[in-house]
Amino acid sequence: MRNGAEILKLGTLTITWWCIIFGAVWIACYLVGVALPMMLSSYDSDAARMTAETLKALTPILSVLVFIPINAMFMVLIERRALAIFTVRLGPNRVGPDGYLQTAADAVKLLFKEDITPHGADAFMFTLAPIVFFAPSIFGAMPLLAAVTNYHELFQIVNLPTGIFFILAASSVPVVGIVMGGWASNNKYSLVGGLRSAAQAISYEIPLVLSLVTICLLAGSLDVVQIAKQQSGGILNWNILGGGALRGLDAALALKFSNSAPALQELSEKSFDQVLKSSYVEPTMAALGLSAGQESMAGIIAVVAVLVLIAATFIAYGLYMTGACAEINRIPFDLPEAESELVSGYNTEYSGIKFAIFFLAEFTNLFIVASIAAVMFLGGGDCPVPAWLGTMLGGPQLASVINQALTPLIQIKLVDPPTLFAAIWVILKVYSIVFFAVLIRGTLPRFRIDQLMDFGWKRLIPLSLIVFLLVVFAREFVNVHVGS
Amino acid sequence: MATDTEVDLTPRLKTDEMLINMGPQHPATHGVLRLILTLDGEIVRHTEPILGHLHRAQEWQGQNRTWFQYQALIDRVDYLSGMFTSWAMARAAEVVDGCEVPERAEYLRVMVSEMNRITSHLLWLGTYLIDLGAMFGFPFYPFREREKLLELFEEIAGQRMMFNYIRIGGVMRNPKDAWLSKLKKFTEEFPDRVDEYEAIVTENPIFLKRTKGVGILRKELGMDYGITGPSIRASGVNIDLRRTKPYSVYPKLKFDVPVNDRDGDTFDRYIFRIREMRQSNEIIKQCLDMLPQGEISGKKQIAGLRVKAGEGFAAVESPRGTLGCYIISNGSDRAYRIKWRNPSFCNLSILPELLKNHPIADVMAIFGSIDVILPDVDR
Repeated sequence: MRNGAEILKLGTLTITWWCIIFGAVWIACYLVGVALPMMLSSYDSDAARMTAETLKALTPILSVLVFIPINAMFMVLIERRALAIFTVRLGPNRVGPDGYLQTAADAVKLLFKEDITPHGADAFMFTLAPIVFFAPSIFGAMPLLAAVTNYHELFQIVNLPTGIFFILAASSVPVVGIVMGGWASNNKYSLVGGLRSAAQAISYEIPLVLSLVTICLLAGSLDVVQIAKQQSGGILNWNILGGGALRGLDAALALKFSNSAPALQELSEKSFDQVLKSSYVEPTMAALGLSAGQESMAGIIAVVAVLVLIAATFIAYGLYMTGACAEINRIPFDLPEAESELVSGYNTEYSGIKFAIFFLAEFTNLFIVASIAAVMFLGGGDCPVPAWLGTMLGGPQLASVINQALTPLIQIKLVDPPTLFAAIWVILKVYSIVFFAVLIRGTLPRFRIDQLMDFGWKRLIPLSLIVFLLVVFAREFVNVHVGS
Repeated sequence: MATDTEVDLTPRLKTDEMLINMGPQHPATHGVLRLILTLDGEIVRHTEPILGHLHRAQEWQGQNRTWFQYQALIDRVDYLSGMFTSWAMARAAEVVDGCEVPERAEYLRVMVSEMNRITSHLLWLGTYLIDLGAMFGFPFYPFREREKLLELFEEIAGQRMMFNYIRIGGVMRNPKDAWLSKLKKFTEEFPDRVDEYEAIVTENPIFLKRTKGVGILRKELGMDYGITGPSIRASGVNIDLRRTKPYSVYPKLKFDVPVNDRDGDTFDRYIFRIREMRQSNEIIKQCLDMLPQGEISGKKQIAGLRVKAGEGFAAVESPRGTLGCYIISNGSDRAYRIKWRNPSFCNLSILPELLKNHPIADVMAIFGSIDVILPDVDR
C-alpha cells in the first residue's frame, strides 16, 4: 500500500496549503477591511472616514490579489502530486518539506528567467497578450466573492444584480489574449494554437451558457448571491437536484423527522402527506386546471415533472463541466496547446514572467469555473446535510460549541461564523471539482480538432437546448426556486 | 442550367498552402526526425521526412572494430530491442563461421528476445498514448511492467538497455535459478496486466475515435514499400520470420502469429501489438519449461574472436519487423563489410503515403502507430 501513504501525504499537503492560502487571505482582509478602519474610526475627521470607507471597498480586490498567486501555486502542486499518484509515480517531493515548496521555487525561477521576445514578433501585442489573458480572471470572479462569503458586509460591494451575466462576459475575454499571443509570436504553431482556441471557445461557450441559463430560469435570477441563498438548507435544495423541485419533499421530511422547529412555520400543523400534497399535487392541478377528483393523475404528472427536472439539472451540470473544461483548455479539450501536435500551442514562444502569467491565469480559470459550478449547482456555501437531519445529528449544538470557542475572535471581528462555515464548504466543493478535473486529465486522451467541433455542435448544443426546453415545460407543474 | 443571373459561389478569399517544419526538436517526433509538412489549413497535403540527424556510421564502424567490440556497439542501433540486433548479427556471423550454437543458448536467446519484444511493445504503448494526447495517466502503467523486465535484464546481462548478451556462438551468461523463477512469476501475472491496459484503452471512446479508420495501410501498398512486422501483419500480410522462415528453436514452440483479415488502421496496429505481447508471454512460459541443461556458447568469448572467411545473411523478427544483417568476413578479427536491413527505415518510407490528406493532429497518431526508432532508421 505505497499508494495509501502517498494519498495520506497528499491530504496533509492539501490541508496545510489550504490553511496557508485562506489564512493569508483572511488576515489580509481583516487588516485592511476591519482592523485599519476600526483604528481610523477613533479619529473624528472626514479624511479618516473616507480612508476607512476606501479601505473597506478595496478589500475584495485585495483578497483576490492575495489569493490568486498563492492558490495557483497550490493548484499546480496538487495537480502534480495527484497525477503522480494516478500514474504510479511519486511526484515532486524534494523542495521544502516533502515537496511543499516546489511550485513556489518554480515561480521564483520563472520570475528570474530571461524574458525573450522572438525575432519578428509584434512586441507590443506579445506583451499585451498575457495581460489580456490574465486580467479577466482577476475581475471576472468578483461577483462570486459575495456568494461564497455568505454575503459578508465587506463583500457586498462586489455583488451585481446581473452577476452571472458579468462572470460569463468576463470569462470569454481570455480567448482574445490567446489569439493575440498566437498571432504576435511569429510562429506557425502558435498561430494554429491561437486560432484553434478561438474556434473552440466559440463552440463550447454555447452549451456552457445554456446550462447556466437553465439554472437561472429555475432560480428566476441572475444574481449569484440570490441563487446561492435559494439553495440553502441541504443537498435537497441544491440546483443540481432539480433546482428547488425537492423543496416540498425537504419540508415534508423536516416535519416528519424533527420534533421541534419545523422548516416552514405555516406547515407545522399539517402531516407529512399533506405537505407533499400541497407542494406537489396542488400546483400541478392548478397548472392543468384539473378538478378535485383527478388527484392521482396530478400526482403522477408531478412526480414525472420532478424526475425530469432532476435529470435535466444533472445533465446541465455535466454540460457545464464539459463546456468549462473546453473553455479553460483542459484535457481532453486542450487542443490549443496540444503538445504532440503544436509543441505548446499559443504559448510556445513565451518565457519568463509572461509565461508565468499565462500559467497563473490557466489555473485561476480552473478555480473560477469550479467556483461557478459550486455556487450555481452545488449550493455555494451551504452544508450538504439537510437542515432537519443536521438538527437530528446535533448540528446546532456543534455550531454553538464552535461559536463559544471562537467568541474572542468574533468579538474583535476577526471571525464571522456564517462566513467561516460558508468558506469551508465552498473550499471543499471547489476543490472536489478541481480534483475531478485532475482525475480526468489523468485518464483521457485528447480529441482531434474536427471531432471536438462535431462533439460541440452536434451533441452538446442540441442536448443543452433539449435540457433547456425540458426545464421550461417541467417547471410549470412544480414549485421551483422561482418566487420562493 | 447556366443563366445570365447565376451567382458565382466560388470563394473569393485567396488561400495558400503553409509549410510547417515538424522536428527535429518537436516534443513528439520520438527522437530526431524532421518532417516538412505542406498544410492546407490543418490538412496535410505532402510530407517530406528528412533523415540522418542521428547517423552514426554503424556499418562503417563494424569494419573498424573487432567483432568483440562491435558486438557491444550494435545494441545501440535499435536501443529498445537490443537483443534482436545482437541476435541478427550473431546469426549472420554464425552462418559465415559455421559454428554450432548449443541448444540451451538457443532457448535462452528466444527467451530474452521475447522479453525484449514485450519491453519494446510496452514502451511503444506508453509513448503512443502520449502521442494521442493522454499526457498522464495510463502512459505510465506499461512502464511498471517494463521496469520488472528491465530489472531481470540487468541481473542477467548487467545492463538495462544495452545488453550485449547474445554473442557470436551463444549467449554471455547462464541465468541463476532465482532469475528463472522470477521470470516465471512475471509471466504468470503479465496477462492480467495486459487485460488492465486493454480495459482502460481498448474501449476508451476517445481513443477509438482517434484511431479507428485513421491511417489505413492498404495491403498491396504496404507490400510495395516493404513494410514488415506488426504493422503489415495488421494489414493482412502473413509474414513473420519466426514462422515463415523459422530459425532457432521457434519450430518447437507453440504460438500464434496474429494476422488481420483486412487493411489495417492505427487501431489494428495497436491491437495486434497487444496480441503479440500475449503470444510472447506464452513463448517465454514454454521456454522456461523446455530449457535444457548444457553449454551456453559454441565459441570462446575472447577479445581476439575471429569469424571464418565468407559471406552470409541472416534475419530475425524484431518487434518492428524483419531485421537483417549481411556480413562479409575475410577471416580477420574484424568484418570486411557489414550491411544492415533495418525495419524502421523501410517502415518509415510509407509515412508520406499514410499522412496524405489527414489532419495535422493525426500526424503523430499515424507516425506513432508504425513504431519507428530513429537510431534504427539512421544507423
